[in-house]
Amino acid sequence: MSVPDFPQCPFLPGRREFLGRAGLGMAGLLLGPGLLESCAPGSPRAHIRGTLRGANKVTGHQLWNPGQLPAPTHTVQTDIVIIGGGVAGLSAKRWLHRHGQQNVLLLELDAHVGGNSASGQNATSAFPWGAHYLPLPDPRHAELLEFLRETGTITGTAPDGRPIYNEYHLCHDPEERLHLHGHWQTGLVPELGVPASDRAQIARFFELIETLRHARGQDGLDAFRIPVDQSSQDEQFRRLDAISFADYLTQHGFTSDYLRWYLDYCCKDDYGTTAAMTSAWAGLHYFAARKGDAHNASSADVLTWPQGNGFLVEHLRRQAPEGILPNTLAYAVQETATGVAVLTYNTLTQKTSRLQARHVLLATPQFVTQRLLHGLPGLFRPTQPLHRAPWVVANLTVDGLPQGPGAPLSWDNVIYGAESVGYVNANQQDVALGTQQKVITYYWPLTDELPKAARQRAYRTSYDQWLTQILAELEKAHVGITARVRHADVWVWGHGMVAPTPGTLWHPGRQQAAQPLRQRFFFAHTDLSGMSIFEEGFYQGIRAARQLLGHSA
Amino acid sequence: MGNDPVLPPPEQGRRSTRADHLPALLLGSVFVIATCGLIYELIAGTLASYLLGDSVTQFSTIIGAYLFSMGIGSWLSRYLDGALLKWFIRLEILVGLVGGFSAPLLFVLFEYVSSFRLILYSLVGLTGILVGLEIPLLMRILENRYEFKDLVSRVFTFDYIGALLASLIFPLVLVPQLGLIRTSLFFGALNVVVAAIALYRFPETRPYRRRFAGLMAGTLLLLAVGFGYAERIMTYTETMAFQDQVIYSKSTVYQRIVLTRNNRELRLFLNGNLQFSSADEYRYHEALVHPAMQALPKAKRVLVLGGGDGLAVRELLKYPQLQRIRLVDLDAGMTHLFQHNEMLLALNKGALNNPKVQVINGDAYQWVRYDTTRYDLLVVDFPDPSNYSIGKLYSTSFYTELHKLLAPDGLMVVQSTSPYVAQKSFWCISHTLQAAGFHTIPYHTYVPSFGEWGYVLAGRNGHWRGNGTLPQGLRYLTAATLKEMLHFPPDMAEVPTEINQLNNQALVRYFEDDWAPYTH
Repeated sequence: MSVPDFPQCPFLPGRREFLGRAGLGMAGLLLGPGLLESCAPGSPRAHIRGTLRGANKVTGHQLWNPGQLPAPTHTVQTDIVIIGGGVAGLSAKRWLHRHGQQNVLLLELDAHVGGNSASGQNATSAFPWGAHYLPLPDPRHAELLEFLRETGTITGTAPDGRPIYNEYHLCHDPEERLHLHGHWQTGLVPELGVPASDRAQIARFFELIETLRHARGQDGLDAFRIPVDQSSQDEQFRRLDAISFADYLTQHGFTSDYLRWYLDYCCKDDYGTTAAMTSAWAGLHYFAARKGDAHNASSADVLTWPQGNGFLVEHLRRQAPEGILPNTLAYAVQETATGVAVLTYNTLTQKTSRLQARHVLLATPQFVTQRLLHGLPGLFRPTQPLHRAPWVVANLTVDGLPQGPGAPLSWDNVIYGAESVGYVNANQQDVALGTQQKVITYYWPLTDELPKAARQRAYRTSYDQWLTQILAELEKAHVGITARVRHADVWVWGHGMVAPTPGTLWHPGRQQAAQPLRQRFFFAHTDLSGMSIFEEGFYQGIRAARQLLGHSA
Repeated sequence: MGNDPVLPPPEQGRRSTRADHLPALLLGSVFVIATCGLIYELIAGTLASYLLGDSVTQFSTIIGAYLFSMGIGSWLSRYLDGALLKWFIRLEILVGLVGGFSAPLLFVLFEYVSSFRLILYSLVGLTGILVGLEIPLLMRILENRYEFKDLVSRVFTFDYIGALLASLIFPLVLVPQLGLIRTSLFFGALNVVVAAIALYRFPETRPYRRRFAGLMAGTLLLLAVGFGYAERIMTYTETMAFQDQVIYSKSTVYQRIVLTRNNRELRLFLNGNLQFSSADEYRYHEALVHPAMQALPKAKRVLVLGGGDGLAVRELLKYPQLQRIRLVDLDAGMTHLFQHNEMLLALNKGALNNPKVQVINGDAYQWVRYDTTRYDLLVVDFPDPSNYSIGKLYSTSFYTELHKLLAPDGLMVVQSTSPYVAQKSFWCISHTLQAAGFHTIPYHTYVPSFGEWGYVLAGRNGHWRGNGTLPQGLRYLTAATLKEMLHFPPDMAEVPTEINQLNNQALVRYFEDDWAPYTH
């Protein structure tokens, strides 16, 4: 599924790889430095084969000048066009399909749908290129639970009414470990060698979270809930969005370096930003919105698969597989007397088409939506662009992981004080007694600069430079790992995912941007939630599809 | 070199009248040859008693066979004529090769051949013959150069001194420092060095020097490579970790298999954990198989998971009604060993080679997810849940898969670690089986080399009875023993535990805690 793996080294013939990975649908535009494959002869990494993955920048830029494209040679009539094959677009398509809408075309710039949930596969394992887990969902999110029944993730209901989860999908133990003071400890909250005063602060923080998890506003709604839109409107909680999580923590006396490191890690892991750049509401939401409930798992458990959320994407896709047009860029959207016209460019055949439809559903990130609908009367215009963090993800095939003392290889493995957010063992859900060979997926949000600068620097960085930095970090906890890396592919996500910076979530613009226009234009994307998680993409797709169905009815 | 021979030229009629004319180099060669010869004999004797046990018999027969072969060699020496020096050099290279590789060869072949003794005695015979040729040949080379009485006196003096040295350094230095394989290879190289010295000190070797030099270099290289790889054949340091002599060790992709033996018993270790002792394994395996089988008079199909030693299968084959026994063991290295090695075949009675038995090398978990056969009996004989990978084979998910494979009136038995040492682990396994929908009947027995050991019988219903017919000739299990096995005294009594799931691995944590006082 998803992105195929290319083991060759050194050079592949120029392969068209458009972005669209950030759920962009139309993406090719701004990403990547083109496809590069590098080996560094003579270095200790010379034996490592792999590729630098990303978009074809040249083609992407060419597409910014639609005037250069040939005029559409034919016209296709349909009811609904969905632009963008990320989670929101697929979720919308599934919902429309279930409600009788068969004439739907979904345009995906990439060769595969999935957006941020892209995944790959090699001889050792399937592995994620992006989103890789789903926290046990809040049982009140009925549509999501229903979907999980369809995927075989929920296998039944216990007599007490709680869902029974498929144990092959629940993250297998051991789940998390942290490399701290030269030792692997179990769990990610620092404990080993942490002074009592810091421990007290950590305990106080989790007491606060427990209170917030159960907190409700004056309107009777949960203070923190997934989907974000179903959280309380109460100002006492919403005003937390105005300040940064870092400031909030300082104001509340949470100053422990260990605790602050951990919370910074959490913000980076979920949002791709530091606590200083994250809204306090979002920082707390990360913990306080986890309301999963199961007969055979705890609320802190997560669901995961070797290919990450590629598993969920594939199920979304399979439910309504017709009418998905991959390698297809939407380069213009026009309003017509009876509906809309979407101009598309097939990046393989290099032909353009005109799709005439009654409705268009843009499941694209805000910057793409703005460009596509530029000048459209009534279009909501954001005052400033959303903060979109660049990420680097690497998949390393290793012949075993040499390690020092402490806990054994877990699902999530984090090195204290590192720039990255650690790595995930893609083989975690294997039940077979495997050999030593594993695939580990290394996640690194580039948070040390503002997104634009970090993105530009990322585009200039070579495969060898990435690998050098990644291995230098891994060597801290796994001395000698370099010699055991067989294969390493690196993926640069230029526009990784939307970050809930202060003022983003409860800004009225977020709601306005989701409003349909003249029964023709509908919007679904995690940008409209302000945080890029599967549940929000799934929710936004259904929300927009419902609006559309309401209009067509 | 070679232009300044230390030995006097072989002029006709010229004889040395004084023993002192025998140069030190020659005597050195005799000394080395003698040492090497005895070392090979000691290696063969030691190896035979390691691998086959019963050291008195082994040493005695090996020494006898070796000396007798030396006699054959001495007798054969009369048929060697012509360029004796050339013969001698050839011989030394050959002794270096055969003697040098004798130990590694025997260790490697031990796994593969069905008649190890034949190989052993053939190799001992060959080495003996070659060594037996050495001294007579050397004496004939030198007979015209020295007074006979001096020759005989000096050659045999150094011969016996060499033997003394060998017998002392072998147990005191060589075995502890180098191990058998490297000792063997090292002395092989010394034989080749003697050949090299002869080649360069005797001027008449000039015509064939280049050719022989190449041959020697090749042989030395082979021996050196063997020396470098000796660790792969047998990790010497490992032999120190076991109480008894390690007679076989091999790292497969999955585990390290080690066999040890002493005069009384053979023991199998996987990753350092004892799997069985030949002295009392019958207790373990009779208790594993018969409580279930005696209740299944109509059973036809059995699936054995783990148990690549074939010992559980040996017990199963005592029931003629069984038509098909399928054994799934991860490690081909393990099943191959127990299908081919003479000593181990004697132990498992060739069970894995029985036509009713199908051996599959594959992952048990993967297998049970895709197998669609319905079995009357499932025998689950995995290593203890000492790590997260193995812990998965004791989970609700795994047992749920097994539940699907079981015939309606079928039974399953699970080896379940020690209920005495690991009380929580044992009961956790029982409770996990219950959570997967099984009725369970826990039981235990005493296996001297393990201690108190536990099993859980599981079925889709509670129909099990212990009054069936047991096969003839069991050494441990009787109707009375069976009854006792079901009783759990207070120190092993049922305790409440969590259920072992893939997402909590409760069992591995219990197991670590339970065994911690015994391992730290």
